[in-house]
Amino acid sequence: MTKIPTSYLMNRAFTLVLTVFIAATLIWIIPRLSPVDPAEIMLSRMAAGGGAVANSDQILAQLQENFGLNDPLIVQYFKYLLNVVTLDFGLSTANFPTPVSELIGQALPWTLGLMILSLIITFIIGNLLGALMVWEHTPKLWKVAIPAAMVFTSIPPILSALLLMWIFSANLGWFPLTGSYGLLVEPGWSWDFIVSVLHHGFLPALSIVVVTFGFWALGMRGLMITVQGEDYTTLAKAKGLKNRYILYRYMIRNAILPQITAFALKIGLLIAGQVLVERIFAYNGMGKLLYDAILNQDFPVIQGVSYVIILMTALSVFVVDLIYPLIDPRIRHEGS
Amino acid sequence: MTVLDLQNVSIDFPTSKGVVHAVKNFTLQIPKGRRVGFIGESGSGKTTTALSAMRMLASPGFVSTGKIFLGEDRTDVLGLSAEEMRQARLSRIAYIPQGAMNSLNPVMRIENQIWDGIVAHEGKTDPAELKRRSEEVLAGVGLEPHVGRLYPHELSGGMKQRVCIAIGVCLAPDIIIADEPTSALDVITQRHVMQTLREVQDRIGAGLILIGHDMGLMAQSVDDLAVMKLGELVEFGSVRQIIERPEHPYTKELISSVPLVGGESFLDPADQPAPSKIEAGAPPLLEFKQVSKVYGAVTALHPMSFTLEGDTPKIISIVGQSGSGKSTMGSIMLGFNPPTSGQVLFEGRDINRLSAAEALQFRKDVQAVFQDPYACFNPFYRVDHALKFPYKQFGYSKSDAETQKAMEEACTAVGLDPSAVLRRYPHQLSGGQRQRLIVARALMLSPKLLIADEPVSMVDASLRATILKNIYDLKEKFGISILYITHDLATAYHVSDYVMVLYHGHIVEAGPPKEVIGDPQHPYTQLLIDSIPWPDVDRDWGSASDARADLDRLQAISDRPETVFRGQVPGFALATG
Amino acid sequence: MTDQQSQAHAGEAQTAQADMSGVTEKQMRRMRRFDNPWRNPKLMWGVGILLGIVAMGILGRIFWDPDLVFVGSAMPRQAPYGFENLRGQEGLLAHPLGTDGSGRDMLAAIIIGAPNSLFVGLLASLVGMSVGIVLGFTAGFVRGRTDDVIRVLSDVMITIPPLLILVVFQAAYGDVTLTMMALLIACFVWQSPTRLIRAQVLSMRESGYVQMARLSGASTSHIMFREMLPNLVPYLFGSFIANVTTSIVTAVGLEVLGLGPQRIPTLGRTIYEAINAGALIQNLWWWWGLPTLLLAVMFIGLLLINLGLDEVSNPRLRKL
Repeated sequence: MTKIPTSYLMNRAFTLVLTVFIAATLIWIIPRLSPVDPAEIMLSRMAAGGGAVANSDQILAQLQENFGLNDPLIVQYFKYLLNVVTLDFGLSTANFPTPVSELIGQALPWTLGLMILSLIITFIIGNLLGALMVWEHTPKLWKVAIPAAMVFTSIPPILSALLLMWIFSANLGWFPLTGSYGLLVEPGWSWDFIVSVLHHGFLPALSIVVVTFGFWALGMRGLMITVQGEDYTTLAKAKGLKNRYILYRYMIRNAILPQITAFALKIGLLIAGQVLVERIFAYNGMGKLLYDAILNQDFPVIQGVSYVIILMTALSVFVVDLIYPLIDPRIRHEGS
Repeated sequence: MTVLDLQNVSIDFPTSKGVVHAVKNFTLQIPKGRRVGFIGESGSGKTTTALSAMRMLASPGFVSTGKIFLGEDRTDVLGLSAEEMRQARLSRIAYIPQGAMNSLNPVMRIENQIWDGIVAHEGKTDPAELKRRSEEVLAGVGLEPHVGRLYPHELSGGMKQRVCIAIGVCLAPDIIIADEPTSALDVITQRHVMQTLREVQDRIGAGLILIGHDMGLMAQSVDDLAVMKLGELVEFGSVRQIIERPEHPYTKELISSVPLVGGESFLDPADQPAPSKIEAGAPPLLEFKQVSKVYGAVTALHPMSFTLEGDTPKIISIVGQSGSGKSTMGSIMLGFNPPTSGQVLFEGRDINRLSAAEALQFRKDVQAVFQDPYACFNPFYRVDHALKFPYKQFGYSKSDAETQKAMEEACTAVGLDPSAVLRRYPHQLSGGQRQRLIVARALMLSPKLLIADEPVSMVDASLRATILKNIYDLKEKFGISILYITHDLATAYHVSDYVMVLYHGHIVEAGPPKEVIGDPQHPYTQLLIDSIPWPDVDRDWGSASDARADLDRLQAISDRPETVFRGQVPGFALATG
Repeated sequence: MTDQQSQAHAGEAQTAQADMSGVTEKQMRRMRRFDNPWRNPKLMWGVGILLGIVAMGILGRIFWDPDLVFVGSAMPRQAPYGFENLRGQEGLLAHPLGTDGSGRDMLAAIIIGAPNSLFVGLLASLVGMSVGIVLGFTAGFVRGRTDDVIRVLSDVMITIPPLLILVVFQAAYGDVTLTMMALLIACFVWQSPTRLIRAQVLSMRESGYVQMARLSGASTSHIMFREMLPNLVPYLFGSFIANVTTSIVTAVGLEVLGLGPQRIPTLGRTIYEAINAGALIQNLWWWWGLPTLLLAVMFIGLLLINLGLDEVSNPRLRKL
């Protein structure tokens, strides 16, 4: 009964493939448009920065292979696309000869964990607060406090991360300054490790939550005002339903739908913001990996990280698109 | 046995421009089982009054004085706690809202929307029992049990409104407030919904407040009538007394503003009709050659051909309900929407194959008045932009002073005070003023052909006759031929020289209005005429099952396109076959 | 936010007790101000804050020595005036906001850096907006295949985070100028105005006044620019400001990763250097804190403008 129309599915899958394809192509084209040979620049910069570079011959060979100086462009491009599909980005130049995919594999779970936690918490809190800003039965105190808090939510997470780190880690010492778990803790499914992970993850997550809920709250406020004026809300009240029931099942239930679409559009920017927060906290995720790679001119890693993050974004969008018809019966109808 | 007692109720709305007294000293009793109509124009306070009995006034409105008692135990509504008021809603006083299209939660199944009302008043109830009750109330409004499993977007407008009635009566309240329950529906569905409402209300013996602006609908539906104007109750009495012997001048105006089929004409034809601007012997003004329009799988318009000579000015009416294809016809004639097949010729030239210069000439010759006077003005400009711009664009303007003078003359001709309207912004004018400005615009540009697409359906009833008179004068005094597109048979009866009745993209009956509307032959036209509510208390409007049977009959003829020809008028020829 | 009282008052009025006599003259004035939506306090505050930053950039260059922004202009790691650094040295009036780890004057760094950030945001957004207007109108008017391409492309590109593509770009190219960075960011901020304008154009096309204009023999350009565009203005402004915010966030993000212009002082680059030098642990709060604070103020200003513009385009929000 609740079957998602095939045309809808095909459409979304096409968007997914196209997004990943365009991103991969951009990542491939950009270095090739550079007037000079990026491989040599990088090597010379590495040499200038760190004196002698170990394995420099091999690295140069690998970079040349990467930038495909040996094949015609079109062949290079298809080789690259094939590699990208299999998530093979070559070897890291800074940690030669570790494959880039291995480095990403180590960092990815941390980023994913932090992302799922912070994005979902933010989405729930933000939408709830936004709804309360409009609801007529919200306590007065809340109605004053929420809009006041909204002002600070324009700040990007990177700034709140600095501030929170300074207050709670540097000055108060409540939370560790860097890393995603304690140095003395053995990774594994032990109690100590879990506590350490939570302890380290708290501030990065908080600095994202504290400033991004406002985006959802403001969007929700506008939608709730519209829903509040809808005839079905009036009829719900006339039916003598309880206020809370109307809030959840009639108002939020309808106002949340465009928010979920907005979520899909916004995921990319939110993940980018999180990458920066990870860099501030030296959290062992993709952000730190990216930052270290930039510092070391490790181009294959930069490429790989960028690609994987965009892939993550596109997959998240796809997942949201798949969930959407389940909560909006009108989409299910459209295709049939 | 009073179920609702309003005593000296006044309702105020504080605004930035001071307090608006929306309702003043309103006193009325509604006895059990009695149907009371609240009639008045938008802004007269009829909905506000009714909502105050539910304590559901829109913020910041409030009841400033007066008492409201509900039911036979005379519960003081204004003295109830919020929770007590919540309990009273639906179980004692129910509301059937205006917007049938949006009154149901789009993401909830119909049966859940019936159940949640029951559960909110009776607490947790056995699912099987809930199911039984929802099916019972749905059956009560003539809906199948499976409708309960559907979502609102899967229902038609009439079905949605009947679901709203089912919700309203599911707890057998003392009184039902129905706020223009049929305003978004076409006349045939309107009759069905209205009769369903009456029958259900009769069965549970509740009082009924029917809010509306249509005197005809009131006459067919209620026992007593309360006439409201500017927040005051100006007249109250039995519906027969009010319609046959109205006392207040406003009531008389309301009654007289409803044109009747066969009734007295509200128009005053000129003694010497203006001659046409078209010379004899010129190619016909407008010609449809096998024109059809298909949107995807839906055929909006089946091939049709007709010729309008234009040598004597004529008003041709195209009558149909929503979805009949009549607005599609309008936009095809204006060249906004190319036909799927066939040709539209204006003065012998295909309007979809014009050169730039010819296109400009075509625009000068063909103008339009649209349905929604609110949308026709760009909110960014003062209203004179809409008149001045085309006048200059078409090269009529000799100087700014001359343009100004032309605008003022046109305003005066349609009964507007130029100094009071021309320099205003659209939102500062009423719908009636705006629509008259659009007519003034047409007058100023003096085209050969005017397409008037539902020009009065969004204007208050008392102004409709005036605006139609203005449009009629365009033909009579200025020699403009007019295509009048409408759903309203009564006005078409009076203004037109020739009528075409459109149903599902077919012309089902065509001829002079006296024949087609005065004595309809095609079953669809007959049904349309039967469904129109007249302000005639003695007329039998039939029962809900009659209406149901009629709808079924309609279904049966929907695929049989055959045109009943009822005669010709000179200057217009509808092709046979 | 300043309208809480009058709003609370309106809320009470819903039931029987409230009375208008309790409304003070001040509240009436406040209510009257809603009549001109462009003059709402949020919008004015927001514009004021941004103009303040611009004024600081201009006046600062006149009254303060911008050359102090170079490395080694002063003794490094001095505290702002009235504070002490870790070595117990008092801050000096010569450098009222202190100095950074390589002896740049912080006041000069801010005077030069803040307008730079704003410049990047405005330029990127302006270019993105122009592209958006062209593509949006094209899609809305031409329709057909062109529309499909523009629609799909903007739908796809809107999900790609600009930061990551720009990271690749900068890693491959090295140093860029401020203008170059702005133009690069502009490549990723045209999507939302395009989508917005396309949607608005499609709905306006069917509106009565556009049909009236067509009946009046108006040309396509008249309909676009004289009939449609004026009504799009609040939306365009809103979209523009949102894009300025996104652009600055992206620029600062690049700078904090050590990319972006290397030789021009920007707020993000100052923060990058502060973090790298461990300013957080050494409690050199002015080094990273002042640019952070200034950026925060800038974003608050942008948010206020956006909230103000929301009220202009959606009158129902004005009640809140």
